[in-house]
Amino acid sequence: MKLYEFEGNELFRREGIPTPEYVLAATPQEARDKVQQVGLPAMVKAQVLAGGRYLAGGVRTVTSPDEAAAAARHILGMSIGGFPVRQVMLSRKTEAARELYAAITFDDYNGTPVAILSAEGGVAINKTARDRPETVVFRPVSILKGFTAADAQQMCRGVGLNGDDLEQVSGILTSLYALFRRYDALLAEINPLVRTAEGRYLAVDAKVEIDDSSLYRHADLHLNPLDRLTNPLERKGRELGVTYVELDGDIAIIASGAGLGMASMDIVSQKLRPANFLETGGAITADLLYNVMGLVLQKQGIRAVFINVYGGINPIHEGAKGIVRYMQEHNVTIPVVAKALGNHQEETWKIFRDNGVHVVTDVSTEGAVAELSRILEGRA
Amino acid sequence: MSILLNRNTRVVVQGITGKAGRVQTSWMLQYGTNIVAGVTPGRGGEVVEGVPVYDTVAQAVAERGAEASVFFVPPPAFKEATLQTIDAGIKLIVVVTEHVPVHDVMEVREYAAERGARLIGPTSAGIITVGEAKMGIMPASMFTPGRIGIVSRSGTLSYEVSINLSRAGFGQSTVIGIGADPVMFTNLPDLLRLFEKDTGTDLVVIVGEVGGTQEERAAEFIDRWMTKPVVAYIAGLNAPQGKRMGHAGAIIHGDGKGTPQSKIAAFKEVGVDVASYPADVVGLVRKHLAP
Repeated sequence: MKLYEFEGNELFRREGIPTPEYVLAATPQEARDKVQQVGLPAMVKAQVLAGGRYLAGGVRTVTSPDEAAAAARHILGMSIGGFPVRQVMLSRKTEAARELYAAITFDDYNGTPVAILSAEGGVAINKTARDRPETVVFRPVSILKGFTAADAQQMCRGVGLNGDDLEQVSGILTSLYALFRRYDALLAEINPLVRTAEGRYLAVDAKVEIDDSSLYRHADLHLNPLDRLTNPLERKGRELGVTYVELDGDIAIIASGAGLGMASMDIVSQKLRPANFLETGGAITADLLYNVMGLVLQKQGIRAVFINVYGGINPIHEGAKGIVRYMQEHNVTIPVVAKALGNHQEETWKIFRDNGVHVVTDVSTEGAVAELSRILEGRA
Repeated sequence: MSILLNRNTRVVVQGITGKAGRVQTSWMLQYGTNIVAGVTPGRGGEVVEGVPVYDTVAQAVAERGAEASVFFVPPPAFKEATLQTIDAGIKLIVVVTEHVPVHDVMEVREYAAERGARLIGPTSAGIITVGEAKMGIMPASMFTPGRIGIVSRSGTLSYEVSINLSRAGFGQSTVIGIGADPVMFTNLPDLLRLFEKDTGTDLVVIVGEVGGTQEERAAEFIDRWMTKPVVAYIAGLNAPQGKRMGHAGAIIHGDGKGTPQSKIAAFKEVGVDVASYPADVVGLVRKHLAP
């Protein structure tokens, strides 16, 4: 789960990483009233969970309370990367003598944390690593041994820092690693890490992503993933404990498993248009699939429902009961086509067939989708 | 022959008293798996499906000679249970558990590597050595014994590919679900190496999906080390961008990696045919083998 910049900032402060003073504003009036608290000139920055704020015009420099109000009015009306801006951050503008880049993330293949430091900040690290690789140091970290001050100092020397610069930046790096570990981060990034004219280092942006699977042990952060989903159907899916992604077609898909869901989507896309991606995970019950039917049919204009499930960990005969109960209670008349294989498959087929679901016994998803197409053509 | 698991392997089920653990133990036993013990802390002395339950895995090893473990342990208990299992000397752990925190996976992975234990998963559908034994949740009716090895990120797609191969007369040696979490315990090339050595396997099918770089690394491995034919399928051609491949992945691997297109290109470059649909794997296998 991605955090807003101000939330990342808060974690930086808890770990002792220096950040500029800031206040939040949700209205132009609030921006006008509060900007003096941080001092002028100030930055007005959109708080959104998307990159590219600068390019989109979501960051402005202001020199008076009136300008702060005007900038806030403009930015609060924007939508960046599909996210409407609901708050802006006001912070004192920092004169940057130099911009660095620092991050802790993980290497999915080697399964270790990785610390990254670059002498050139302010741009995307991918670009720096590609164009000027000599300015970037990547360091894999043993998660059991940890990341020491000596490791951080060596990285600093690697990008040409020494003396007081090395002291400050290596301290920030070790604090960033502590944050990464303490809060189960997938990414903790400072870009830019600014050196002011007075020689002080400040984290002028905070990009932090927390592992969703770890949220149960970070109740103290009061993070609710539901708050971050702007699509109401995706939100509902998350509430139910399934993964729903809205697409622009009219064939609803229900699949048990991410891979099968993606394959179903790929195959349906060949001739028809999927309305959604939905994967149930491994905890199917009658009630869950009852609710899942309601979820996929909430979208307007659905022409058919394609169900593709395997009985491995999932009791698909239980799921089938929930689906047909929904169809009866809500008088579903569009075609519902099901491919259901594995443990309890015969029982599942019987429940479906007795209740108007078209059961496909073809063992390939493309065969099942071809059948679905024929049924739709027959109706047209 | 097979890899990792056979009918003699002495298996312990951890989390055996939970709902999934109990049901799956019954399926595994029906398949012929040599389950010698179950473990749930505080439930020692109970019997589940005729299997004696112990409080600790160390007891299951000492009293029942358990040598491989399948995990239905919930995420909050996962890390401690795994470390204890490794300390008890178990060398193969199949992790069915979903939603394990990535940091826990990284810690356990390093700990296991230092002690020579192999873990599969998390979010693994398991391992089935067809006709002999299974550890995990794979439905037995999908599989028939034969000489094709399958490594799959997705559990359900491994079933789909297997049943289509089975219907066409191509049986399987061992089928493994490696999971699709951000960090996996065992990488794809490590399993390809085992299949390459296995005298019971003639061809390997890789079922991959969007995200991560497992498939790109597998292509490099195949190019350098594999003599057996490999065919592949990649799910997620139409997946919305950025849903699976987070920002972190792009930082480590650069732009453009992890997409289905980059995986398919990597495979094609090293002569691995890539199926358009899961069941099309059958046609590609037929180019190399007769049923």
